[in-house]
Amino acid sequence: MSTPPIPYKHTELTFQVMVDASPNALILVNKEGKIVYTNAFAEKLFQYQRVEIIGQKIEVLMPARFEKYHPGLVKSFFTSPEFRRMGEGRELFALKKDKTEFPVEIGLNPIVTVDGTLVLATIMDITERKKAEERFRLVVESAPNAMVLVDKKGIIKLVNSRTEKLFRYRREELLEQKIEILIPKEVRENHPKYRKEFSKNPEVRSMGAGRDLYAVDRDNNRFPVEIGLNPIETFEGKMVLASIIDITERKKAEEISANYTKKLENKNKELEQFTFIASHDLLEPLKSISGLTEILTEGYYEKFDEEGQNSLSFLNESTERMKELITALLNYSRLGQKSTIEKVDCTELLEEIKVDLASSIAQMNVNLKIESLPEVWGYKTELRLLFQNLISNAIKFRKKDKNPNITVSSQKINQIWQFAVEDDGIGMDMKFANKIFTIFQQLNPKNEYQGTGIGLSHCKKIVALHDGDIWVTSQLNEGSTFYFTINTKPQKS
Amino acid sequence: MKKIRGLDCIILIDDDKITNFINKKVINRADIDVTIKINSSVPEALNYLKGMSKQPVEEFPRPGIIFLDVNMPGMDGWDFIDEYKKLPHEQKKKIVIAMLTTSINPDDEYMANDIPEINIFLKKPLTVQKLEETIYTYFPC
Repeated sequence: MSTPPIPYKHTELTFQVMVDASPNALILVNKEGKIVYTNAFAEKLFQYQRVEIIGQKIEVLMPARFEKYHPGLVKSFFTSPEFRRMGEGRELFALKKDKTEFPVEIGLNPIVTVDGTLVLATIMDITERKKAEERFRLVVESAPNAMVLVDKKGIIKLVNSRTEKLFRYRREELLEQKIEILIPKEVRENHPKYRKEFSKNPEVRSMGAGRDLYAVDRDNNRFPVEIGLNPIETFEGKMVLASIIDITERKKAEEISANYTKKLENKNKELEQFTFIASHDLLEPLKSISGLTEILTEGYYEKFDEEGQNSLSFLNESTERMKELITALLNYSRLGQKSTIEKVDCTELLEEIKVDLASSIAQMNVNLKIESLPEVWGYKTELRLLFQNLISNAIKFRKKDKNPNITVSSQKINQIWQFAVEDDGIGMDMKFANKIFTIFQQLNPKNEYQGTGIGLSHCKKIVALHDGDIWVTSQLNEGSTFYFTINTKPQKS
Repeated sequence: MKKIRGLDCIILIDDDKITNFINKKVINRADIDVTIKINSSVPEALNYLKGMSKQPVEEFPRPGIIFLDVNMPGMDGWDFIDEYKKLPHEQKKKIVIAMLTTSINPDDEYMANDIPEINIFLKKPLTVQKLEETIYTYFPC
């Protein structure tokens, strides 16, 4: 049999090895507050040799400001010794031999030995953690939004100066308060419930999506806010960093803009109504003039001399032209008024137009090429008028000495259909590119090219009804290409 | 028929033949001995002015007054003024430009007032009275 081990010796040795190998500073202190033992790490941390420090008062390892009342604390610890963290809620500092201070966290552990009760202090250097915290604090402080850090119980742990300004509280009035003091009364009650739900499934998100959020300041003023929530892990557990933006100004701007849009819509409706009524009422006396001219022409033409006869036919011409213009205006104001958005097959639509224009296509030997065209959402009657106007124009402004070639094509650009009607006609100077879309504006003399000058205004209005744009590229004597986009969404109903 | 010194010719620039017919009639009724030249577009009128010196004066008399329509297809009255400004001084000397318009937009008149080339701004229709006032103002005997 071998010699039995000596249990006490062995345990003591093991204890010493363990303590020395610990990555924390360990210091054993007796009832008198004197150091009885330090481990290797403590030597390193405090820069003392073990022999220099053992037997010294523990206060040598503290900044001078703690010296006065620390002995009292030691005494009270020994009256009810139990494991606890030291200085809960306060910032603790330790002192190296060279008198530099550093932040620490200390755990206290009573140990009963043959020499009586001792306390084992575990000291952790938290300089790096403090630095990280300070960096975090600086980031939060310099954020352009109000930032509030809340722990899992809903207690405010950190605010920045934007928060002070926004909520009119001083920082110390907010810290350690429930976050609910910043929330309007009517939602305050339910808020803890929301908080719990969030902490169950924390993720970066904006708060109260789809709802209008409000906050209250110190003077109980409500104001609209937008809040972003960021769950973060800290040394003190899971927390939520809320970023709060005051959107009062934005809301105001939105309201103004909405009102303005509404007004504009009304005005626009009024204007269309006005055009409709005005042109309608203008037609009445015009029809009378037309009738009277007819009476004069039929009953008295022979009684006039040449100049009188000329005047009479000019009178008739002017009346007819005015009728055309007013009718065009009337039609313009009616565009899109009674239509609904439907799915329109443009290929089918163009086939119909081909039939409608068959006689002029045959007469002018038009080579009308229709490439593959999509289905779009739109007002069918108006779209038909749009294509028909553009193709009729292309035929009308053909070159006199050759058969016109016209191509209708389409392509999808950024999810929007763009159409093109290309011709090889007389073209135009691009300086008139905008003028042609203005109502009653014409580029060519009336005696050469008949028309009211409203066709392209119609087109422009129709394209606008489809949330699109219309434009032209052209070169004099080379032909024109009219482009337009259709961007209508299916109607919600 | 009276002959006005410096007023041998009046040019009417208007694309509308009926307006030209009426204006010609008004000038005739004012009983003035003057040649009336009708240009139904701006380029036509500019060609007339540029070609004057190279052509026999009987066929291309120098205008004393130009009645200029504003709203015309292609180049309009304002475009005419822009081109007219570029003409050599010799060709513009002693020409009175009367802008004649149906426009009820007062901005047109303000704009016309700011353009020194436009001597007078008249509203259609041209009448004998408007014509005579223009002549008394710019061609006093």
